[in-house]
Amino acid sequence: MATKNAEAHAAVAKKYEWGFATEVEQDFAPKGLSEDTVRYISAKKNEPQWMLDWRLKAFRLWQTMEAPDWAKLNVPPIDYQDAYYYAEPKAKKTIASLDELDPEIRRTYEKLGIPIAEQEVLAGVEGARRVAVDAVFDSVSVATTFRKELEAAGVIFRSISEAIREYPDLVRKWLGKVVPQHDNYFATLNCAVFSDGTFVYVPKGVRCPMELSTYFRINAENTGQFERTLIVADEGAYVSYLEGCTAPMRDENQLHAAVVELVAMDDAEIKYSTVQNWYPGDENGVGGIYNFVTKRALCQGRNSKVSWTQVETGSAITWKYPSCVLAGDGSVGEFYSVAVTNNRQQADTGTKMIHLGKNTKSTIVSKGISAGRSDNTYRGLVRVAPTAENVRNFTQCDSLLLSDQCGAHTVPYIEVKNPSAQIEHEATTSKISEDQLFYAMSRGLDAEAAVALIVNGFAREVLQQLPMEFAVEAQKLLGISLEGSVG
Amino acid sequence: MTDVLELPSTRHEAWRWADTGGIAAAAALAPVAPAKADFLDLPGARLLFVDGVLDDAASDLHRVRIGDLTPGDHPLGRRATHGWSLHLDAGAVADPVQVVHVATGGENHLAAQIVLAADTSAQLVETFVGAGWSNRQTRIRLGHAARLMRAVRMTQDAGFVSLRDDAELGEGASYVATVLGAGDQGARVDAAITLAGAGGYAEFGGALLTRDATKQECAVRVRHAAPNGQSHQLWRAVAADTSQASLAAAVEVARHAQKTDGEQSLRGLLLQRTATVNLKPELEIFADDVKCAHGATVGELDARALFYMASRGIPAPRAKALLTRAFVADALDRIADDTVRDAFAADADAWLERAL
Repeated sequence: MATKNAEAHAAVAKKYEWGFATEVEQDFAPKGLSEDTVRYISAKKNEPQWMLDWRLKAFRLWQTMEAPDWAKLNVPPIDYQDAYYYAEPKAKKTIASLDELDPEIRRTYEKLGIPIAEQEVLAGVEGARRVAVDAVFDSVSVATTFRKELEAAGVIFRSISEAIREYPDLVRKWLGKVVPQHDNYFATLNCAVFSDGTFVYVPKGVRCPMELSTYFRINAENTGQFERTLIVADEGAYVSYLEGCTAPMRDENQLHAAVVELVAMDDAEIKYSTVQNWYPGDENGVGGIYNFVTKRALCQGRNSKVSWTQVETGSAITWKYPSCVLAGDGSVGEFYSVAVTNNRQQADTGTKMIHLGKNTKSTIVSKGISAGRSDNTYRGLVRVAPTAENVRNFTQCDSLLLSDQCGAHTVPYIEVKNPSAQIEHEATTSKISEDQLFYAMSRGLDAEAAVALIVNGFAREVLQQLPMEFAVEAQKLLGISLEGSVG
Repeated sequence: MTDVLELPSTRHEAWRWADTGGIAAAAALAPVAPAKADFLDLPGARLLFVDGVLDDAASDLHRVRIGDLTPGDHPLGRRATHGWSLHLDAGAVADPVQVVHVATGGENHLAAQIVLAADTSAQLVETFVGAGWSNRQTRIRLGHAARLMRAVRMTQDAGFVSLRDDAELGEGASYVATVLGAGDQGARVDAAITLAGAGGYAEFGGALLTRDATKQECAVRVRHAAPNGQSHQLWRAVAADTSQASLAAAVEVARHAQKTDGEQSLRGLLLQRTATVNLKPELEIFADDVKCAHGATVGELDARALFYMASRGIPAPRAKALLTRAFVADALDRIADDTVRDAFAADADAWLERAL
């Protein structure tokens, strides 16, 4: 197996096919980070005074904080003054219809396969569900589709900058309620300089008529992307939200520090799926995105449910723990994750399930796949408060090692203060079984296809949770990320 | 005078559940009369330390030597610079070594060193009684195919017991350690075990039983540095009242330590709503041809088993005691010597009598 793995490394050469850069004229904020930068961003966004005050408070707080170092990550020092915090494509200030979008940007999304025209996603598939898209290009949202139809259903789907202007009360009520300003270093930075992102509000009893999605693209050099997403599902509402991201291939490291907040009221359900495919750097670990993201859901209502599904294949360094605060009685949190690391990538990812309400349930299924010289860590916390009766948690984290130079780590924390809780945790670490490989190859598959088949089988429990459109993409992505890593 | 503030803060991952306040309080305990030293009916060396000082009259050293030892750099272990040592030459088989540590308030520190040459075998039984902060550093070096069986019971009435172990196993060596926390003291069992030679075997486990407001924890890291090693960490925690029992066990597999078999089983049982059990079964794996699995569960006694026992006429407290005893017994079964195992089981039973 060792020799096969060696061949495998030699063959890890598949190009990152989303790595092109788009030539558009852009407006940048002055380089560096200061209160002026924060004011600049706020002014650019035409924000009300309360929003600026909120940002400044966060910025002053951030200056007193230190970057966390507890993760099993080797993060080179980041020079926060050597980056642009705002980049926006120069375009007409207001576009009346999608046809007026800068053709370069439109082509970018077409190339990425993102439907920003209002078309059916899977062309030719009858009855295929449609997806409304918010396309974020560097620091601004360039298009949101299907607005009218969503509005008819009562669903608000806006870029967050628009929402701050159009629905200030709603935004003000929830912004920073799930992830407070002082939460952690990167979240606080985001509070100060977030540029755009998505706001979704699904009113009482409404089942959102289509999948909502945001597509994040970092294009400009030397910029950080700080997006902010806020989704509120009111009583009995349902929404499924997809998130995708890519970036050009560059030799420098770029910072992506996002904050995602979800709120689910009584009987509401939010399904949040991510396919994270930021540029991972080259095979020697040069370049790539630092993906330092804070995602948290508040299951505030009775019997509310939040389900996180993530497929993490990109980024040079991933630091990300989508979490659920299960405050409402009977609320349910789910976390399904596939994290693939190859070459020099590092991922420290997992979840937190904080059980506060009675009869709350959580399920964690994490599949880590490491190849090349990468490090892949699952880090998770399951906490049961004294008041939380009859909590159930099931955690399974499996790791698959595809080379003898990579690392797979599991760091689960379990903190229980109520005896009626039933907490189960299982984990395994293994390599691909020779028997399985041999069998698949005896049926006529070549080594690579056999590995892809086995890896997809390994990750199946998670991929099943993705909406169909994403599942197909994610499976392809898994294959590509690992291509050549086992031979 | 000890500056407890020198200990890492609980913001440090390896000290997250540590009760540094408990250590400070234990070190400040007022003097108490020495408790009775209770040796088991075993042949071999008997060492009685009162506040870390050997009681010559009550001790029988055999092969054991007393003297200064090099302190390590561990925040707890480095405080112990003097203690006992056991060196066995190749092929020797020593009689068991029994050590009773009596604390009479305040703090005491004692080091120990066990060096076993090739093909030797030794057995060590340690008992902690009294009140105060007892801090121990034990350095263990096992040569080719050397075997060490060790059992430690912490049964102080008050205070804190901190153990820092630093063990290195040579090729084919075996180290089996069982720790029982069945007193009313706080505890930290801090161990680093390295399987430096191929085919080493390490077992480090036990049971932590906590009640009132005590906090006990284990922080054990087994490092596989050579191929074909095997390690098992089996821990049970039972927490009553407002106590906290924490189990943090880590397995680390180095790049070339192929064919490692690492296993962790951490289980917690909460007896009251106010108690806390923390678990952290950690795996850190850098080799691809290994088998590492861990299981962790927390809960209360099985309601169906309790119902069944009630239906057979067993009173509820008795049924609870039986089931809890069975839960704890898993961890104590690995003690090979009948006398030692029975004594440990009796301590656990006595604790259950008090707690239930």
